[in-house]
Amino acid sequence: MTMAEDAGVVVASRERTEKRRTRFWTDRQANVLVAALLFVALPLLTEHAMPKLLEQHHYFNLDVGVAMAVAAISLNLLLGYTGQISLGHAGLLAAGAFASGIMTSRWHASMVFGLLFAMVVGAAVAFVLGLPALRLSGLYLGIVTVIFGLAMQSSILRSSLLSGGSAGVPMFRRVWGSTMTTDNAVFLVVSLLLLLGVWLVDVNVVNTRLGRAFRTIRENEAVAAAFGIPVTRYKLLAFTISGAMAGLAGAMYGHTIGFVNNEKPFDSTMSLMLVIIVMVAGAGRRLAVVFAALLFWLFPSFIEGLHQWSYVLGAFLLMATVRTHPDGIADMLHHMRRPPRADADAADGEEELPALPQLPAPVRALESVVSLTDTPLLDVRGMSVRFGGLTAVDDVSLSVPAGSVVGLIGPNGAGKSTLFNAISGLVRTESGQISLRGKEIQDLRCDQRASLGIARSFQHVGLARDLSVRENFLLAQHQLAPYSDIEALLMLPRAARAEAEFRERADQAIAALGFEEMAHMPVRNLSGGQQRIVEIACLLVTAPELVLLDEPSAGMAPAAAENLAARLRDLRDALGRTVLLIEHNVPLVLDTCDYVYVLDAGRLIAEGAPAEIAANRSVIDAYFGAAV
Amino acid sequence: MQVLVVGLIAGSIYALIALGIALVYKATRVLNFAQAEIGTGTLYFTWWLCTRHHLPWIVGALASIAAATAIGLVFEALVIRKMMTAPRVTVTVATIGLFSFVLALELAFFAGTIYLVPPPIHPGGVRIGGVFVSWSQWLALGVVGLVALGLAAFLRYTDFGLAVQASADDPVAAQLMGTPRARISAFTWGMAGALSALAVLLIEPTVGVLSPGAFNGLFIGGLTAALVGGLNSLPGAFIGGLAVGVVEAEVKAHLSFNVIPSSNVTAMLVIVLGVLLLRPQGLLGATAGRRA
Repeated sequence: MTMAEDAGVVVASRERTEKRRTRFWTDRQANVLVAALLFVALPLLTEHAMPKLLEQHHYFNLDVGVAMAVAAISLNLLLGYTGQISLGHAGLLAAGAFASGIMTSRWHASMVFGLLFAMVVGAAVAFVLGLPALRLSGLYLGIVTVIFGLAMQSSILRSSLLSGGSAGVPMFRRVWGSTMTTDNAVFLVVSLLLLLGVWLVDVNVVNTRLGRAFRTIRENEAVAAAFGIPVTRYKLLAFTISGAMAGLAGAMYGHTIGFVNNEKPFDSTMSLMLVIIVMVAGAGRRLAVVFAALLFWLFPSFIEGLHQWSYVLGAFLLMATVRTHPDGIADMLHHMRRPPRADADAADGEEELPALPQLPAPVRALESVVSLTDTPLLDVRGMSVRFGGLTAVDDVSLSVPAGSVVGLIGPNGAGKSTLFNAISGLVRTESGQISLRGKEIQDLRCDQRASLGIARSFQHVGLARDLSVRENFLLAQHQLAPYSDIEALLMLPRAARAEAEFRERADQAIAALGFEEMAHMPVRNLSGGQQRIVEIACLLVTAPELVLLDEPSAGMAPAAAENLAARLRDLRDALGRTVLLIEHNVPLVLDTCDYVYVLDAGRLIAEGAPAEIAANRSVIDAYFGAAV
Repeated sequence: MQVLVVGLIAGSIYALIALGIALVYKATRVLNFAQAEIGTGTLYFTWWLCTRHHLPWIVGALASIAAATAIGLVFEALVIRKMMTAPRVTVTVATIGLFSFVLALELAFFAGTIYLVPPPIHPGGVRIGGVFVSWSQWLALGVVGLVALGLAAFLRYTDFGLAVQASADDPVAAQLMGTPRARISAFTWGMAGALSALAVLLIEPTVGVLSPGAFNGLFIGGLTAALVGGLNSLPGAFIGGLAVGVVEAEVKAHLSFNVIPSSNVTAMLVIVLGVLLLRPQGLLGATAGRRA
């Protein structure tokens, strides 16, 4: 790439940044506008107000298409963002349809309440299914949902409790009392407004900590937990939101066709088609997914006999896309238009790592502001970690005083990273105590320890690599968010304000690093050294009490690693952080640390000031073999 | 007693599906959602040979097994092998693609009509101590027993079988030791196809009809069985199959059809949720997916 082209890319990305800043509506205003539309426009809708542009059955097809678009957004939220599979989405749609049907036919309630009830039921069913399945990592949700979908179809929905036998449930478009709207054009406007609402909620998810948490979980659950994200809770939240949207979509579909039973229209093939739509169009890409849903549903319904073949084609496309381009067709088109930049790794050797940013400390309710007592910041007593028969960490005790840089060295397989995982809460300890400022934390989850102020890096860079640099800085502020999930979904004032604040702090951090032109690049396109400095800077935006760094020089060119020593000293001297450092690069450790522990085969074999360690016989033995 | 026996026989067929799922999962960490659909698709082949060409059942059955094995091998060669390094979620989605593809073809060609496959052996059976067991059920029991024992012996006593096990335990080490990973992957998928066809052939006399999705119950039973057994344990899958079959038969016998029709399917859902809540590693599973 020549200089001129390079400059072009920089200018383009700056322009994009400007455009983001000066967009016409803020998140908040867009949400208020849609809410106003829903309240003002809906009561004005009557058949006479609608222009007769299309035949009723065309409107009917469009109504179904819009309902499927909502269903696709629902599955996309789960599959595209969190990477969890639901193979029984039709079951959730059916649950919503039955809920709204029973509400409007048996209980004579208005469709408004029917739709609300559908969302509640969809969310509740998803919650119940997700609770056992999402505690585990793996694809257990796929197993549960595929069985759920078939159980709904062949058993649950046929129960006399729900439908009075296999007769099904009529779906009335009851406006109020006995007034009904039968006009499909009117219902299309209603559907479009609901689609707009669901669309905005999905935008809100992406623009708040919810979406960042979901997408980080999809990529790496350990990294998510280290940023203070309660992984199980967020997976469950994603499925619950998805369930509410699916319930709404089902009710919309049901009110369009006027009658639902256990098989029509929500059979198991619909679940599979939704997976096809989301994966083929491009998981995580809202516009593509909505477009695909409309296309997939509308195209065959205007041409006779095409429906079966569109399913065959879809299934074939699913195998083909997943094999050759798992990010879907939208991603493929995107890359054809704008080829991905070559990795910057080539320039790795020469680069200077920028100084770590000095950020205004975030407001944070800490239990104790630095108390200058004798209690060390971190104190580990007699800790052991076992994997089956293997003792990876054996009765280790160490302490890290506030305001120091403490090093941990040892040969490969000594148990250093396991020790880190145990301190940060990613592996469970067999015995021993870990205390932070005198408070025992060994029974807390990783994300809880993170929110107490333990920030950690990973050997293979603990960032969400698919997210941009800026998004990672936003992600890092997860635990500072003062808003609830509901506030986030509706972008209520507190959420909008907090997000604006987060963005400001992220931009400050990026500016301080001088990384403005990379701000909107996915982290994976950065060089090893750049990723590392972004990772450490991300750890600092929450002003953590203790920073655990796991081999920060790994994957760095030697020149950059040398530069790293200065940055580590900055951490302590300029930023006043406390650091526990694992390093393979022994000179780097001796150069930067105040105190050093040496681990071999899971046990501490030496500790002391760097100079003592350098002269220690057993350390030399451990590194170079006994026969030196 | 009759219920118990019926449950055990159905369960032994579920065990075949569960074995297929566990074998693929063990070797490649992929959940094969097409496990029952492959055999359902190829059963149309049996129907075509036996009904249209009046060939004996056994010829149709062997043709179905051969076709299903071929589907497994082709899918492995064209899709799975190209995705060796892809995230397991993505590969699992590919099996959903295969599931959909076979089902979509069935729907496109055979929807709307119910097809009847001639019975494997003439109807009737024997009554032993008050329990009636039909000839096709005897056949199922015998075949499942032979297959399970044969598979166990193959995996334990042949070099290739041991290699399959080793690659399941530690893929990296196994590859360093020169285990032919591509061949193992091909073997497990071919085997999965064959087991799928076999299970569908054996349960068909009980289901009675052939239509798209007719064997969803078989898939659910097999999947539940595999999960109960621990997903990566072959003996676990077998025992899980029997257990699921018995529970299902009991539930069906004791719950009124009017309250919850086909309550056995709902029972599967309850079993799965219960296992995940109480014992996610299954009966004989080696390691759980549970985080610290």
